[in-house]
Amino acid sequence: MDPKLLDILVCPVSKAPLEWDKESNELVCRTSGLAYPIRDGIPVMLESEARTLTSEERLPE
Amino acid sequence: MSDNQKNTTHFGYQEVPVDEKVNRVADVFHSVAAKYDVMNDLMSGGIHRIWKRITIESSGARPGHKILDIAGGTGDLTRRFAQIVGQSGKVVLADINDSMLKVGRDKLIDKGVAGNVEYVQANAECLPFEDNTFDIITIAFGLRNVTDKDAALRSMNRVLKPGGKLMVLEFSKTENPLLTKAYDFYSFNLLPKMGQLIANDAESYRYLAESIRMHPDQETLKGMMDSAGFVQTRYRNLTQGIVALHTGIKP
Repeated sequence: MDPKLLDILVCPVSKAPLEWDKESNELVCRTSGLAYPIRDGIPVMLESEARTLTSEERLPE
Repeated sequence: MSDNQKNTTHFGYQEVPVDEKVNRVADVFHSVAAKYDVMNDLMSGGIHRIWKRITIESSGARPGHKILDIAGGTGDLTRRFAQIVGQSGKVVLADINDSMLKVGRDKLIDKGVAGNVEYVQANAECLPFEDNTFDIITIAFGLRNVTDKDAALRSMNRVLKPGGKLMVLEFSKTENPLLTKAYDFYSFNLLPKMGQLIANDAESYRYLAESIRMHPDQETLKGMMDSAGFVQTRYRNLTQGIVALHTGIKP
């Protein structure tokens, strides 16, 4: 995925900015507690496809 | 019973649960993605290229612009916009359907379009972009497949910059009764047969014909754009209203 996309992408649910977790290759929103997959280089910004973060993951680093 | 009635929407001429429409539409486009371009040329006799060219020409796109092409499917508009906005601009091709998006991306890469185009899988009803991001948003032959069109128009309004322009290119209502008759015959008799013959899928093309008839007419859609917060809303009929190009500005 092109990192420049992060300048304009937000969580479709909370509209908060996203963090790119390169290890899991997900776009993470702590506000909504959702992680969006990046498949084949394309961010999948659909709530129905997102993974719910565990309570540990939701804590700020 | 009453609950069911409240929570249904139309899928072509059928009533389906609201939650189900998105999946039914997805199935249609997974099914037609590979043959989409060939079928567009065949079904419209190539006229869809003229409709799209008129959309580009009246967009006011300039170098440096940020453009969002929603339901951009196989990338016809994105390709032209990418040439116009140049390397200082950006075009985002968004589609809810990953099959369409991948066909589009492969096609654009094959044609050497790269560097200023991004691909995002997104639902038009809740767009995943910052407020006030885009100079122009286009949605060509996409709005009629969206379940909650009012939510989608509001979402587009939110991500447009003030002064930015929304362009909706969509099938509409023709007022010429003779043309309507011929068009109906074509849509409900010939079109599914062509779909069967070429894409081995009559059902998907029957849905396309039905969904066109169920889509709001020119004045209704204009009113919906007004309600979503657009100003200077207007439309231009193309090919006697078989298609209409609606535009509106975010104040």
